Amino acid sequence: MKKTDVPNAIEQTLRQASATREGFLGPDSRSLAAILRADDKAVRQRGLTHARIAKQLLALRQAGWKGLGELVSVPPHFEVRVDAARGKLPCPFGDPGSFAKVNTTVCNLERGTEITFTDLNIHLIAIHGFYEGRGAPFRLDPEQLMDTLEMGRDP
Amino acid sequence: MPESTGTTAYVTINDQPAFSTPTGRSLLATLKARDIFIPSACGGHGVCGLCRVKVLSDAGPHTSREEALLSAADRLAGMRLSCQVMVERDLKLIIPNDFFHAREYKAEVVALRDLTADIREITLQLRSPPVIDFKAGQYIQFRIPPYAAVRRFTERAYSIASPPSAHNRLELEVRKVLNGVGTTYIFDHLRLNTPVTFNGPYGNFFLHENDLEIILIAGGSGMAPMKAILLDIKERSIRRKIRYFFGARTRDNLFLLDEMQSFEQSLPDFRFIPALSRPLPEDQWQGETGLITEVLKRQLADQYPGEAYLCGSPSMIQACINVLCEKGVANDRIYYDSFA
Repeated sequence: MKKTDVPNAIEQTLRQASATREGFLGPDSRSLAAILRADDKAVRQRGLTHARIAKQLLALRQAGWKGLGELVSVPPHFEVRVDAARGKLPCPFGDPGSFAKVNTTVCNLERGTEITFTDLNIHLIAIHGFYEGRGAPFRLDPEQLMDTLEMGRDP
Repeated sequence: MPESTGTTAYVTINDQPAFSTPTGRSLLATLKARDIFIPSACGGHGVCGLCRVKVLSDAGPHTSREEALLSAADRLAGMRLSCQVMVERDLKLIIPNDFFHAREYKAEVVALRDLTADIREITLQLRSPPVIDFKAGQYIQFRIPPYAAVRRFTERAYSIASPPSAHNRLELEVRKVLNGVGTTYIFDHLRLNTPVTFNGPYGNFFLHENDLEIILIAGGSGMAPMKAILLDIKERSIRRKIRYFFGARTRDNLFLLDEMQSFEQSLPDFRFIPALSRPLPEDQWQGETGLITEVLKRQLADQYPGEAYLCGSPSMIQACINVLCEKGVANDRIYYDSFA
């Protein structure tokens, strides 16, 4: 991605975001463009798209919602819990609307792995292909994410 | 109304006489300087979208944050985010009367107690002003100072768990949120004797005065306003039939059991009905099991004549509202404080 003023402004917003503990990029020193490129490559190598991953996250979130804050079993071997905290978050890329602070935790019981994602994560992946910077509190490493969700072919 | 100069503007609120104020500050900060506290969960960073006021005069164009956080209908109706409006000209505002009751308070942490692995009780002794007036069920905005990688002040809303009679000492019950700015501070950084700042009280979640039967439904830190309401009911000798449904996963997630069960002795017609959705064998649980909605369906009579108060996650509240409506509770008799 060619560096322009607009991405610089977005990158600054992502680094300074006051709504989250350490911004959306965390201590990751890579540029936003480099982060987006690397994560996009990881997803493509598995034959997937960001939209497909986001769709699966949304489906698990909706299944977990029925648990009213408690664990819900989801076939084939997931346990999902959806928690909510007070407040809403806007998209740091400036998209309209805001996202409730809803955390979805998915445990893959067979692999013994677990991921937690927010409603904002789902939007950021679906629309921006953005999984946050390394070390950011809500970073979703695409490899770990796809492994836990058992999505895509092996690279 | 006098006209603004370059450095001074005049602000009119609810048709009261205008006051002059220096220009160049946000409307949120300007109002705060006049001891008018508009609820804001993010501390004025244009994130939460809560600090809404109605501006009847020209306040300049909407910012990108406002375009993201306010609907087109709200923007058309003159709603603005007070943290995003810079006071550069005379302004005419409409502010709900409730907000004039909120104040900023200095307090000190005098007790910290872990109620469960993820719920902490905080007791605050008020210092200045020394007392606060509020209704049981209302909440405050707790100011979170910069810490670790958090570089700016922010605010988080927490329900008051103590009764209005204890107006110089507040209790809060806070549930830890994964990576949450506020709760990470409270669980990992807040210590005894720490001076803290909060503003409030806020909120329309409180007991309505009538003779109807009462259903209380909560989970997790939704216990806080319910405890305040029950203590208030006890102190005011209110004699209404009350059933309190509290949902948790296992026995370890239940807390204040003794205190809640003691109301069965001190209130004339009260029952506490805790329910576990996934009791463990070692819990040796003899009480209700299942999701709180299932328990409600079993316990509540059809055509239930009372009113209901709910506090908890949006999913729990929505599901319980559906059950209550099926049971014949009128929509306008269902009051809730949703964590959203």
